Amino acid sequence: MMSNAQFEIQLIASLVAIACAIPGTFLVLRKMAMISDAISHSILPGIVIGFFITQDLNSPLLILLAALTGILTVVLVEYIQKTGLVKEDTAIGLVFPILFSIGVILIAKNANDVHLDVDAVLLGELAFAPFDRLIISGVDVGPKSLWVIGSILIVTIGLLIAFFKELKISTFDAGLAASLGFSPAIIHYGLMTISSITTVGAFDAVGAILVVALMIAPAATAYLLTNDLKRMLLYAIGFGVFSAISGYWLAHGLDASIAGSITTMLGLVFLLVYLFAPNKGVIAVLYREKQQRTEVSLLTFLLHLKNHSEESERHVNHLNEHINWQKVRSKTVLDLALKNNMIQFDKNIVSLTEKGQLFTTQAIDYIITNEDGKIEHMKDDFFLFRG
Amino acid sequence: MSNNIAVKVDDLTVAYNYKPVLWDIDLEIPEGVLMAIVGPNGAGKSTLIKSILGILKPIAGSVEIFGMSYAKQRHLVAYVPQKGSVDWDFPTTALDVVMMGTYGSLGWIKRPGQKEKKEALEALEKVGMLAFKNRQISQLSGGQQQRIFLARALVQNASIYFMDEPFQGVDATTEIAIINILKELRKAGKTVIVVHHDLQTVPEYFDWVTFLNVKKIATGPVKDIFNDDNLTKTYGINYKVSIQE
Repeated sequence: MMSNAQFEIQLIASLVAIACAIPGTFLVLRKMAMISDAISHSILPGIVIGFFITQDLNSPLLILLAALTGILTVVLVEYIQKTGLVKEDTAIGLVFPILFSIGVILIAKNANDVHLDVDAVLLGELAFAPFDRLIISGVDVGPKSLWVIGSILIVTIGLLIAFFKELKISTFDAGLAASLGFSPAIIHYGLMTISSITTVGAFDAVGAILVVALMIAPAATAYLLTNDLKRMLLYAIGFGVFSAISGYWLAHGLDASIAGSITTMLGLVFLLVYLFAPNKGVIAVLYREKQQRTEVSLLTFLLHLKNHSEESERHVNHLNEHINWQKVRSKTVLDLALKNNMIQFDKNIVSLTEKGQLFTTQAIDYIITNEDGKIEHMKDDFFLFRG
Repeated sequence: MSNNIAVKVDDLTVAYNYKPVLWDIDLEIPEGVLMAIVGPNGAGKSTLIKSILGILKPIAGSVEIFGMSYAKQRHLVAYVPQKGSVDWDFPTTALDVVMMGTYGSLGWIKRPGQKEKKEALEALEKVGMLAFKNRQISQLSGGQQQRIFLARALVQNASIYFMDEPFQGVDATTEIAIINILKELRKAGKTVIVVHHDLQTVPEYFDWVTFLNVKKIATGPVKDIFNDDNLTKTYGINYKVSIQE
């Protein structure tokens, strides 16, 4: 049986995953993945200062202060970039370590004796989340971090539904969005604010590094599987939640860090999709390339047969000697031609069949009229087997 | 062509990082013309369009669309950005991109519905792309992508169309299809302003032209001002084009 604490940990992890996947999808599409890394580190001084003021890591004021540091990061990066002296990635690399180190010094100078250390910020500790309860007039209503991330998630989903159209147009075509009166700056800073708030709300539970992973990895995985923005959002949420829950049980089994295990699962899921995605996956791409290579070779071979009536040019061994192909390739091409009834053999002399003649003649027509694209459609009609 | 001024630009100066790329531009574009903006690379052609549309903030000068500020007249204007300015791997379909043309009249928060979808389908048909409506945009050729952009502008049903190099990277068939649609727009009384690169086709495609190279060199009817003198002033070298009769 799952204990109550175990259930709560998985619920918090899942809500964090959803809250991260939504802004993460837009960050990935806007090619701003590195900004989330910057925000997650540079909110540290905001958290520390907020903690001095409120003495409560889950206080809304602390979250706002820290989120402001996140916005400050974005503004500074853009300001430095606008001078034209350094590029965006350099600007990011300049800004966040400075803000982060200010936070590190503040902690070392002032907060040594409290529950706030650099390790906790970087890695979080999900396992402790159920112990910090929210008590309202004596009644235990659940872990504080569940309420924090739950509220952030509700706001995020509300904004996503209200401004989906605006987010889409300004992400795809900022120029058009501006000309239609949807200020890309407002949407940009809105997205940055949500990303910052989500990062702060999630860091206590899962830490700064896992926040980045939960924002970027599920969105990057979903991007490989769909051509539809709504589906991409749903898939990203699905991958995030799956990794959160399976990561929890991996940590349980290995007796390891929950945050680390969830990140590992995110990486594994991405790797699997990266390899096996039906259209954009590595294997699908390699397979398509191999098929195309073989079929181009086949066409070359058929053209050669059509151009040469002399037997010496049509001898099987000629393929190796004169067209300069390796044995394996010649065999693949010959086999494919045979299987598709394009050629016939007469004592090692190859000639085109009637079907082969027809196919080759049509292909030549398309080649000389610069309509190579149509050869692809022709293949559907002629080929019983593909390369 | 009527006597109304569709676009009026006064003393417009635009700078990137405090370096002016457009100096003190005065320009009046009459309603109902099909106008080319020509000039060498870096002349500020795209910048001029973007400043008129409020995408870039000028450091001086003003812009009027039919006598009022752009913010008030936005609904009268459609814009086709350079094809290369967007990421064509974005997860969306041809129909969805065309629907974006309706977002302006919808305003904030309101979502497109059946009416907008119908308008988008009609625009797709006009540019001959109806069969590709569900195609992911990265799977379209350069010419098809440009047609989608044109359909997105048509769906706005505007009075003034701004187009940034609509003929770049398109095949001859698409170029003819696009110019025919632009000529139809002019016939319907619309004003069409096109950033254009191919000087050879200016007399054939356009009736109005603006020469631009950081400053405005000349503006007016093609038959009056499209000559070697203005071309030389704009491009800085001794330029000769043979104008086909």
